[in-house]
Amino acid sequence: MTTTLTPTQPAAADEPRAGRSAWTLVARREIVVKLTDRAFVIGTLVTLLIIAGVMGWQAWSAQRTTTYTVAATATDRAMADRLASDAHGIDEGLEVRVDGAADAAAARALVTSGDADAWLHRSGDGWVLTTDSEEKDALTRVTQQVVRQATLAQQADALGTSVAQLEAGSTVTPQLLSGDAEKAGLAQGVAFAFAFLFYIATLTFGITLANSVVEEKQSRIVEIIATSIPVRQLLVGKIVGNSVLAIAQMLLYAGVGLVGLSLTPYASLVPSVSGPVVWFLVFFVAGFAALAALWAVAGALASRVEEVQSTATPLTMLVLGVFFGSLFLDGTAKVVASYVPPFSAVLMPTRVLEGTASWWEAVLALVLLLAAAAFVMRVAERLYRRALLQTSGKLSMKQAWHAPE
Amino acid sequence: MLEITGLTRRFGDVTAVDDVSFDVRDGIMTGFVGGNGAGKTTTMRMVMGVLGIDAGEVRWRGRPVTAADQRRFGYMPEERGLYPKQRILDQLVYLGQLKGMEAAVARRAAEEHLERFGLAERSGDRLQELSLGNQQRVQVVAALLHRPTALVLDEPFSGLDPMAVDSMADLLREHASTGVPVLFSSHQLDLVEKLCDRLVILSRGRVVAAGDAEDLRSRGPLRYRLTLDRDAGWVREVRGIHVVDVDGRTALVEVVDEGAEQVVLREATARGGVREFAPVRPALADIYREVAA
Repeated sequence: MTTTLTPTQPAAADEPRAGRSAWTLVARREIVVKLTDRAFVIGTLVTLLIIAGVMGWQAWSAQRTTTYTVAATATDRAMADRLASDAHGIDEGLEVRVDGAADAAAARALVTSGDADAWLHRSGDGWVLTTDSEEKDALTRVTQQVVRQATLAQQADALGTSVAQLEAGSTVTPQLLSGDAEKAGLAQGVAFAFAFLFYIATLTFGITLANSVVEEKQSRIVEIIATSIPVRQLLVGKIVGNSVLAIAQMLLYAGVGLVGLSLTPYASLVPSVSGPVVWFLVFFVAGFAALAALWAVAGALASRVEEVQSTATPLTMLVLGVFFGSLFLDGTAKVVASYVPPFSAVLMPTRVLEGTASWWEAVLALVLLLAAAAFVMRVAERLYRRALLQTSGKLSMKQAWHAPE
Repeated sequence: MLEITGLTRRFGDVTAVDDVSFDVRDGIMTGFVGGNGAGKTTTMRMVMGVLGIDAGEVRWRGRPVTAADQRRFGYMPEERGLYPKQRILDQLVYLGQLKGMEAAVARRAAEEHLERFGLAERSGDRLQELSLGNQQRVQVVAALLHRPTALVLDEPFSGLDPMAVDSMADLLREHASTGVPVLFSSHQLDLVEKLCDRLVILSRGRVVAAGDAEDLRSRGPLRYRLTLDRDAGWVREVRGIHVVDVDGRTALVEVVDEGAEQVVLREATARGGVREFAPVRPALADIYREVAA
């Protein structure tokens, strides 16, 4: 087989077509390679299964009821019946069935043989719940309450009064001056979930990005690419490709999580979570892009895959700092940090969710974050371009900055 | 035509490439020869624009080369590397697209080239599953795919078996014959000798010889081999020549004074039968040793 070659055309003065939109090709390749990577696909599926599993378990255990059989002799039967009728009202997950026993020995035998879970009997001044070898915590709690109520009612009767009268004026109700308890708890939960997702996503996709940069550098294919398209296009393509993947994966997890949540007793919370999720996503994209550019630099500073770990250390610390900052910062520090990139990526949407920041604060923080992302991108481009073709060992940021092209 | 003029590159205190000038002419294979660290790779990287230039200039078709020009060149870097884990055809199409080809065109071109190297049925394999020689062929395909306007190949023959060397040589000649200038480096002098029309010899960052392969050879010392019926030891007595080697009835002599070879020949016939008296054209290796010394 021969290939016929036609003489080449004189060089066109304009840039090859791909020179301008090459980043889309690079981004597409990043995505396709990742989606056909077995480890990535399996990892994602396993995570999805875990999320679905946790949600499923929550839903299942909420509906599950455990039935206990309680043995009682004729004299204690009244109390046991009262336990059976009141138990489900006190603990939804618990039901009690009474098994009559001829005498104490028979009741004991029922417990020993396992036919009954416990034996309720009177002893001296009080009541005893006898179980075989382990305490049944839930049953004990319910029994204590039922017996207490019954005894109280009895004694109140004897004193010519009622339980209600005895307890009058003794209730304590928690009250919040701002917001409500459920929303505050929810804000905390959602904020933690997103801080964690941001941490995991920036770390895993950051390392992926750094590795893919150093792999190109190590295999020297970067020399072929650098003579095909401008290095900036390569950098932008890699950042966009990995950001799209990270966001898609996070949407997938969040989506499955929300669907799962709607199947649990917390279903009523879903609408109130879905709104703030949008803020989190907007900040996630901006924050991720800024950090992704730095991850690309970390990759370019190394010359072998093994070196990435050390060139990426400051970045790993920063990502960790953002995560812990979102957990532990409070008061004024939290307000200030919610404007400081990259901390704002998690803290500002958290404050919006808590209701302590108004929309213009969020917009201001977003503008600052985007400005920082743009600035980081410019610096990263210079470092990336200069470090990319230096193949002799690890570089420091300073060396890369001053390296000749 | 690619013109390289006064190209200089320093790394710290070391001048890796020092005032290097030569031409790579259209339709001609130019061999770039030199030992390790002579500056071949550095020069080629500067020509391709992946390394900055401290001084000098690269000109293409009579004007300073632009990034757009360089993008249409075909380049094979010194150390081999494509994506080890990606399928061959996929990555060739990707690289073709980066060079501005339509996906379908790139695919067709890649398939044609792979077929030519007998790799058609491996196009779905991952690069790392191929032998080193075959990986090298894929690398060359990557450089040729987009019908480059010039070819800059760093050691394209290293690691190839003799069959692959032949098909690679054919392919390069074919590209050159369409009017494309081809610059390739090699340390296999016999190969360069066989393939090249022109030659640039680099030593310690400087061009020590450049020009037509024929011209360079004729610039070498003029030597004659003499084979006699009897012992040739007497040549040591002849003036105006330098005896390189005497081995029984054979002698290799170098002419120092012009015409001295005629004296040797007369003396030889006077002393008995002459089996052979022939000029010895120096091999490239000899020239290389001479100029690079």
